[in-house]
Amino acid sequence: MRRSIHFRLLMAATLVLVAFLGLAGIAVERAYHSSSRQALREGLLASVYSLLAAAQEDERGGMRLPEVLPDPRFNRPDSGRVATVTALNGDYRWRSASALGRRLAWPSASLEPGRPVYGRLKDAEGHRYALIQFAIVWELDGGERRYLISVAEDMAGFDAEQSAFRRTLWLWLAGVALVLLLAQGVVLRWGLRPLRQVANALREVEAGRAERLDGDYPVELRGLTDNINSFIDQSTRRQTRYRHSLDDLAHSLKTPMAVLQGALERQDTGCEELRRTAAEQLARMQAIVGRQLQRAAASGGRVLAKPVAVRPVVERLIASLRKVYHQRRLEVALEVPETGAFRGDQTDLMEILGNLLDNAFKHARRQVRIRAYTKDGGLEVTVEDDGPGIPAEMREAVLQRGTRGDESVAGQGIGLATVREIVSAYNARLVLTDSPLGGTRIVIHWPPARTH
Amino acid sequence: MRVLVVEDETALRDQLRERLTREGFAVDAAPDGEEGLFLGREYPVDVGIVDLGLPGLSGIDLIKQLREAGRDFPILILTARGNWQDKVEGLEAGADDYLVKPFHVEELLARLNALLRRAAGWSQPVLTFGPLVLDTRTQSVRRDGEVVDLTAYEYRVLEYLMLHPGEVISKTELTEHIYYQDFDRDSNVLEVFIGRLRRKLDPGGALKPIETLRGRGYRFTLSAGQ
Repeated sequence: MRRSIHFRLLMAATLVLVAFLGLAGIAVERAYHSSSRQALREGLLASVYSLLAAAQEDERGGMRLPEVLPDPRFNRPDSGRVATVTALNGDYRWRSASALGRRLAWPSASLEPGRPVYGRLKDAEGHRYALIQFAIVWELDGGERRYLISVAEDMAGFDAEQSAFRRTLWLWLAGVALVLLLAQGVVLRWGLRPLRQVANALREVEAGRAERLDGDYPVELRGLTDNINSFIDQSTRRQTRYRHSLDDLAHSLKTPMAVLQGALERQDTGCEELRRTAAEQLARMQAIVGRQLQRAAASGGRVLAKPVAVRPVVERLIASLRKVYHQRRLEVALEVPETGAFRGDQTDLMEILGNLLDNAFKHARRQVRIRAYTKDGGLEVTVEDDGPGIPAEMREAVLQRGTRGDESVAGQGIGLATVREIVSAYNARLVLTDSPLGGTRIVIHWPPARTH
Repeated sequence: MRVLVVEDETALRDQLRERLTREGFAVDAAPDGEEGLFLGREYPVDVGIVDLGLPGLSGIDLIKQLREAGRDFPILILTARGNWQDKVEGLEAGADDYLVKPFHVEELLARLNALLRRAAGWSQPVLTFGPLVLDTRTQSVRRDGEVVDLTAYEYRVLEYLMLHPGEVISKTELTEHIYYQDFDRDSNVLEVFIGRLRRKLDPGGALKPIETLRGRGYRFTLSAGQ
């Protein structure tokens, strides 16, 4: 079974949502991380400046830092921020009070003065630190001395902050995703409700509880529901017609049956008389059955009918008729363009053309001509022959069901009457005239397809 | 002539069998497509009558399979619906003519005879061999304009020979085409028919239209035309 539309939409929306929120989360996390790192570095640099600001001069003019610094973090051992100042020549070495208990392997390097250098550091216990190193030139009387200021910040705080942010971020994103998916589900149910309504309405029709699809459907579905409704209407009409035909058939057969029964029950009916009555009533019954079959054959157009190409139908009929009228060497002129199309049922088209061509083959002396053209948006088919033709005063009678124009050739009247039944079911026009070939010409014109 | 009738309606099948036998045909009748296919494949059928609305193997499929098996005897289809869709499909499947139910048996016989004639390569309904004229429409034979009174079986034997002039027709072949399957082949009925035909067609003994080739069969000796 194909997956439901609901499932497909929900699946697609879920995938898009998860991908989108995931990428957004990663982007936010990255941005936060890099701005935190920037803030950390700025804090480290500020610490360097605060150390410089607190620096004093000793008796020889060298750099000295006081025991207690203005930034309390340098004074408390548990603050995580430690600093050291060393003279490059090794005659001065200072460590902040906060460095107590921490064993840090400070890297010593000769750096360009005035430019901070950032790095990372690990102590003996495995704590990670962010490091800044800053070289300065200390002016002395008649000389200068170089110092390296290093400040390190324990990363534990930074890491804790990062993971707290990450947790909060993903929790919120997950919450948002959940809410969005729920909303999506609700929207889908709401959006697809008309489809479910159509399905339910169809079930009602199927169960016979409703005649057609009632209700106000959204514009996207109205084409479908309208078509289904006209389909239902058409089949209802057809069903009604079938019921009536069956009714007619049953009733009209009762009379000849009654006559036959009467003839049988009468003791004095002679064998010859009985035979005659039976033959008469049988002929009557055959006529009745024939008439009902003609009626049933005319389906009268189809909703949503796919156009039927005329040419292949004509070609098949001609091939078949050539087989049947094998001994008649007839010339058949076929003027049917490939594009000629019939908007209706193929069986109906075949019935119409079959009967017309059959008559033409039967009566033609040498020639049969069939043409089909699209005219004024409709279809016009002409079938003609060079036979004896039908006298003007006989034409109406020939078109009436059951009568035969020519008793010597069986079945002609029935054929034309059938054609007329079908043609009128399509609201088409049938005209019977003389053909320039010398025989009969029959023109059928179908009006353009109804536009809704 | 051997005719295969495939019709599921028992009443119609029996009626056709009875009438066709009376007309001198050897009749093989089958109630469904499968049996029809078997008979059509295994017996030397000259013409077939196939109802399109058969149970099981449909008439159309039966005709297709017979044609695929290389059986090319003419086939007449019977259709109850009589619409062109059915007729065209039947003719496209390999049938040669159609008849819409209900039909007069005379119409059926006329169509069968026309098909047989056509299959033998005769386009005219009248076969003329010198003084002998056989009219397949009226199923009558004249000699020098005089009607020769033949029984249905005698007519069929003569018709078969005249439709295959100059050919040696074995006794078996002739028997198979004239009688249905359970006929006793050892009987000399055929020789009796041939003898009677010779007496009726050639009372003077000058024409000698049917030649006996000992151990091989019979041959119609006259050539077509006046």
